[in-house]
Amino acid sequence: MRLLSAAATAASALVLCSASLMAPAPAHAQAKLCDKPREMDGFKTCADVDKAKAEGAFVLYSTDPEAGQVKLLAAFNKMFPEIKTSYVRLQAGALYAKILSERQAKSYLVDVVQLSDMGMILDFQRRGGFRQYVSPQMAAFKPEYKSKPEGYWTWGSIIMGGIAYNPNNVSAAEAPKKWEDLLDPKWKDAINVKVSNSGLQHGVWYMLKPILGDDYFKKFAEQKPRAFDSYVQQYGRLVDGQDKIIMGAQYSGYIEFKAKGAPLAFVFPETGVPAVPETYGIVSDGPHPNAAELFMDWFLAPVGQKALADALLLHSPRDDVPAPGVGSVPLKDMKLLFPADWNAFEKDRVEFAKSWDRIVGARR
Amino acid sequence: MTLASGAAVQRRRNWQAIVTVALLLVVGFLVVLPMVFLVEASLNVGDPLAFPPEAYGLKNYFAIFDEDINVLWNTLVIAVMATVMAILIGFTLAWILTRTNVPGRALLERLMELPYYMTPLVGALAWAVLAGPRSGFVNQLWKGMGFSGDIADIYTHFGIAWVMALFEGTVAFVMISASMKSMDPALEESARVMGASKLRTMLTVTLPLVMPGVLGATLFVFAEMLGSFAAALVIGIPARIYVITTAIWDSTLSYPPDYGRASAMGLALFVVMFGMLTFYRHMIVGGSFATITGKAFRPRPMDMGRMAWVLFAVCCLYVFLAVILPVAALLLTSLQRFATVILSQAEFTWANYQTALSLGPVRTAMANSLMLGFGVATVGVIVMAVLVWIIYRSTLRGRGAIEYLVMFPGAVPRLVFGLALLWAWLNIPIPIYGTLWLLALAYFTVMLPLGVRTLAGVVLQIDKSLEECARVCGAGWGYQMRTVTLPLLKPGILAAWLLIFMACVRELGASVFLMGPNAKVIAPSIVSAFASSGTELTAAMALIQTFTVIVALVILFRVTRGVTRELS
Repeated sequence: MRLLSAAATAASALVLCSASLMAPAPAHAQAKLCDKPREMDGFKTCADVDKAKAEGAFVLYSTDPEAGQVKLLAAFNKMFPEIKTSYVRLQAGALYAKILSERQAKSYLVDVVQLSDMGMILDFQRRGGFRQYVSPQMAAFKPEYKSKPEGYWTWGSIIMGGIAYNPNNVSAAEAPKKWEDLLDPKWKDAINVKVSNSGLQHGVWYMLKPILGDDYFKKFAEQKPRAFDSYVQQYGRLVDGQDKIIMGAQYSGYIEFKAKGAPLAFVFPETGVPAVPETYGIVSDGPHPNAAELFMDWFLAPVGQKALADALLLHSPRDDVPAPGVGSVPLKDMKLLFPADWNAFEKDRVEFAKSWDRIVGARR
Repeated sequence: MTLASGAAVQRRRNWQAIVTVALLLVVGFLVVLPMVFLVEASLNVGDPLAFPPEAYGLKNYFAIFDEDINVLWNTLVIAVMATVMAILIGFTLAWILTRTNVPGRALLERLMELPYYMTPLVGALAWAVLAGPRSGFVNQLWKGMGFSGDIADIYTHFGIAWVMALFEGTVAFVMISASMKSMDPALEESARVMGASKLRTMLTVTLPLVMPGVLGATLFVFAEMLGSFAAALVIGIPARIYVITTAIWDSTLSYPPDYGRASAMGLALFVVMFGMLTFYRHMIVGGSFATITGKAFRPRPMDMGRMAWVLFAVCCLYVFLAVILPVAALLLTSLQRFATVILSQAEFTWANYQTALSLGPVRTAMANSLMLGFGVATVGVIVMAVLVWIIYRSTLRGRGAIEYLVMFPGAVPRLVFGLALLWAWLNIPIPIYGTLWLLALAYFTVMLPLGVRTLAGVVLQIDKSLEECARVCGAGWGYQMRTVTLPLLKPGILAAWLLIFMACVRELGASVFLMGPNAKVIAPSIVSAFASSGTELTAAMALIQTFTVIVALVILFRVTRGVTRELS
């Protein structure tokens, strides 16, 4: 059986090898789960574990913070010490452009990719960049959390953005409760946001614009918000009193800072909190295909999802994995606003980037 | 001349020609190829990810004037302010430490170089903590003294320029002092004997004599400022002051990436730099700067009397502002659970150092950076010394063009040149992408302007007659280089080595795009920590980096004490 599955893997790899990067996506054959997944310590896998160990290495390209990345990979490496892990961490746009450039030059260095922007994920799938592998964990993920057909990409975590403030500088009474409250002139020059490269910020813009009206962001621009690459800078400025409010504040950042004792409060507006996923998939033509499958099985199982929650304080899309950190709000208690049509979301990217750059003063 | 000796001369010429041609081909290839890709990207008006481009046009250039004119303006204003300040700092310090009898010279000189050993983020992060509005330490102190409002605000054009100048001032210092060390003090002494005051001597004798060094440093520092990233990232963005590098950073990080915008902006700066270089060449062609002649001299510092202590205080002030204050601020930040300047809410911990040291890839990255620094500086400096000789001493036709050529990588912001290198090397069928070899080649390419400028300042001071003398006495080109030119260049070579080594260890722009999963270097890891893991971890990593580099250099100087005597 193992021989058969190896032959099937080799055949599918050959098919994908022959498909060039720019060629249309290969026909989505409905791959099936292997017949007898192997029982490991805390998860099941269809990967050939011996081959994965013989490959001896695994490479992840991801947008997550370096320290968290190292923790996550260390947890995997602890279970499989024979597999040396390494990673490249860049922001989504730069990471994706790097992958595309590498593939164009037929330089295949990466096994699994994580991107925080669904637009890029769909684009990569269209370009035939993902290799289909149906993990035994697939049943635990809702249909909207994975590719159709399944096995190309799967949501590894969900991030959401609300409103945050520092209770030492803003009282609970005067703190904004609704998204509309952020237009109050008293918050002028006191709000920070993420830069236009952020998938979450795009989600916030895309989901709130139809609900709050086109005028909302025109008025919001008058508040002269400042834009930052990451939530760490955003929360840092709140803690130091340099800004008063974060619009689209990443909840995992709040959990992290709160756990360190920072004076912060988080608001979930009634309208809901825009949410986007961090998505994982196995890259076709990767140098360590068996190790990649083994990693995905481990990562998508509760054991890997808990390791992710510990390392990066991110919410798992799985119902059977508890919320990260201590006392944080679970997904089921949040009103999450997801784009209904990810293709439309992707098309909106360029317009969003230009508009957002103008709002934060990066462009005229 | 006999037939035999004629043949010998011919052989020497051939040898010289072969070395020259080979060197020019390699350097030309390394520099020109990325530039071709860059120009192509700037003209790409179709899908930015398509290669080769699907449509060509000038849209990206027009867009600069339409959308990014304020970005260009900010860049120029800040670069000019920062260059003026850096050259003033560098010249003053170089003069004090090489031409006067200021007390504790050797130690001070070592301390002056310290800012250069620190990653550029150190200064920017530290000054953001020190002089941030409302809650910066300086403003807290000001309010604590009973005053109202803020006394300092780093988040301004001047603030960004100040941080850049404070830390790039060291480059100016090293470049200018290399020229000053090679200067015959007899000229200054003559001025003093004729009754000129010390200040007048400095302005009318010292300054004109070290002009090539100062102009070279100005040109180089200005280019560095145009391409400076750390201060613009840490201080500019919160102030909503975008400069070309931060705009390029955004353009290349966004999706779809706006490579056209980034390349066009990079090439727009290229035009400015081209003008500067032409001006520089015009200046040095017109004058004679030879101060090292056949006459023996020993550099003798001027006796400044009591003024020496004032000069000592000036040096100490610089060390305080550029080293002690920032390191103290960062040390404090690195010991906090979450970075805050409001000490009443701070919680202290060693965890950041534990985290930084436990990051295995960061340790490997540090080792890789040191290795690349040693390798590229050592090999690079030899190649660059020969290049400088070709440009300024040979009779080769078109040598002026070579000078322009080697300045190309410095005339375009590093981030853009990094992208160009990525495109170029991905499309060359040599499988070194994702390895340290590619980083080494890239570093050599981007360090060309720094090495060549530093060495040129010194070469121009060496009287041609010394080399001509060697040739007349029958020395071959190689023999003359080895026994006359290179020994005379030694202070310049050592300064260039040190500058290149440090620039490699701190390199960010090219590394960001060329790093592979198994070929990482330290600077991008630190910027990545800043972008994603918080100031406290970044501070710990930056301090560990600084400390490691200093230890490595101390060991190096100890081991090679004889060779590096000129530096101390």
